[in-house]
Amino acid sequence: MAAADHSHNFNLPPGFRFHPTDEELVVHFLHRKAALLPCHPDVIPDLDLYPYDPWELEGKALGEGNRWYFYSRKIDARVTDNGYWNPLGRDDPVLSTATSQVVGMKKYFLFHAAAADPIKTNWIMHEYRLPDAASSSSSSSSSSSSTRSSKRRGRPKRQDYSKWVLCRVYERDEEKEEEEDGAELSCLDEVFLSLEDLDEISLPTRIQ
Amino acid sequence: MSISVNGHSQVPPGFRFHPTEEELLHYYLRKKLSFHTVDLDVIPDVDLNKLEPWDIQEKCKIGTTPQNDWYFFSHKDKKYPTGTRTNRATAAGFWKATGRDKVIYTNCHRIGMRKTLVFYKGRAPHGQKSDWIMHEYRLDEISTTQSSNIKASSSSVIGDGGQEEGWVVCRIFKKKNHHKTLDSPVSTTITESPSSLLLNSCNDGALEQIFHYMGQTCKDIEDGDGDGDGGGGGRLLSPIDTSSGGSYLDGRFSKLPNLESPNSTSTHNCHQPINNHVGPTDPILIPGYQLESSSAAAAASAPHNWAAFDRLVASQLNGQIEVSNMIYYSDQLPTPPTLRGTTSFSSKSSSSSYTAAAGQDYNNVDTELWSFAKLSSSLSSSSDPLCHVSNTPI
Repeated sequence: MAAADHSHNFNLPPGFRFHPTDEELVVHFLHRKAALLPCHPDVIPDLDLYPYDPWELEGKALGEGNRWYFYSRKIDARVTDNGYWNPLGRDDPVLSTATSQVVGMKKYFLFHAAAADPIKTNWIMHEYRLPDAASSSSSSSSSSSSTRSSKRRGRPKRQDYSKWVLCRVYERDEEKEEEEDGAELSCLDEVFLSLEDLDEISLPTRIQ
Repeated sequence: MSISVNGHSQVPPGFRFHPTEEELLHYYLRKKLSFHTVDLDVIPDVDLNKLEPWDIQEKCKIGTTPQNDWYFFSHKDKKYPTGTRTNRATAAGFWKATGRDKVIYTNCHRIGMRKTLVFYKGRAPHGQKSDWIMHEYRLDEISTTQSSNIKASSSSVIGDGGQEEGWVVCRIFKKKNHHKTLDSPVSTTITESPSSLLLNSCNDGALEQIFHYMGQTCKDIEDGDGDGDGGGGGRLLSPIDTSSGGSYLDGRFSKLPNLESPNSTSTHNCHQPINNHVGPTDPILIPGYQLESSSAAAAASAPHNWAAFDRLVASQLNGQIEVSNMIYYSDQLPTPPTLRGTTSFSSKSSSSSYTAAAGQDYNNVDTELWSFAKLSSSLSSSSDPLCHVSNTPI
């Protein structure tokens, strides 16, 4: 697959794959991209604002296993030919393991296929962006949410596309989810371990 | 870019050593056996008896990036000069095999096996189970001898002692706590029910494996686990026996793999008395399956009516609900409800949730089951070898 090609580009032995942590994605890739520094390794393509459907990413984004990585721009509504990315829940901060500082934010999206009654799919997107603090550092960030949104609404319909984001897209596979990193126990192993638990506990000899 | 285990040179950011099982066996272990050294500094040699799992992760660092799993070669040594078992004890504990070995394929060709081991702190039989898991990969003899590069000495290292000696490649990792893996709002809905996973996998033949596992005698116990030598024989049966009422179900499990060979002693032993006691209560035990009275009678009168039994099993395996029933029973039976809170089994979220999933209309069945249990235990006599064993206090 594409994965092998990438590792060969770096003379990596077999078995090395692009499995970045959130922090690596933000620090090594997003920060450098935003700072216009050369990314090393320069493996993640910039898909700009092209509205690819998630299943179209193969060959365009960096593919690794069933995951695809690409740069894009911050955009309010990510609409494709056949659907749209619907934001899920809250944003998560991406922390630096060394300093515990927030180095980025992670937002979750679920792809809905366009229809009269839009259909949820199993396609997930993680969108990483630089911390919000940078943009709102001018004023107190806590009280500025309402003012900021009104400010945005007040503006003409011009979006700020200058903010880079880094996206990871994958199709959720419920059966394989647990084994995704290859380090998890198989279901069968869990059963066996449970059986051994039964062995270890003391059971009463009969029912009272 | 070169890789160094010492962390001096760098793996490019974002890249990790995540080999497939095929790569581990077909590329790395084969190279190791044929004395190639290229790339092998990615995977160091580790003396499993000298390093604790938490020390291994120090020794097996690749680059400076955080890792969730660690890889190493290990040379298996015999526990006793004359035996075939492997010594996997360390200063602080021991590795104990669990489950059944998994076959590793490459392009549909079998190339090796994977053994799963758990690290226990302390000494057998009082070891305390840890979260450290090891997958130990070994090449099949055929695939190693087929590789033309292997010198005579290495093939003797592989030996003929059931692969209990020689080089293996291992991966260790810490078992994830399911409650901690919620790394995104999306995955909360996924990971909260490992039971659904379990049930799904059961449709893919895992169930048969479980049955086989439960039915086999001591195959896995003699299979090189670190915990001494005794008492293995009854460990699989004892939790089920202890409920006394479980003997029928237990008998079913035991019998399943032996269908082709009804004459095996273990089958015969538990089969006879169980049918005598339990035959009439069959319809209670298997909800959704109406055993015709004639065939029930046939089953009771003819203990070796395997065709009828086969139909029974087939009906059980027909759907997920039925499958979950069996899990449900095998889960529930060994442990009286009042005890479940204290068992480590029920501390897993899986237990409660698949009980809930399977439960629904089986609450009443459950009570019937327990009343049946009393019936069965009162009926069981010393002629039943299983019940005889189970009456021994643990």
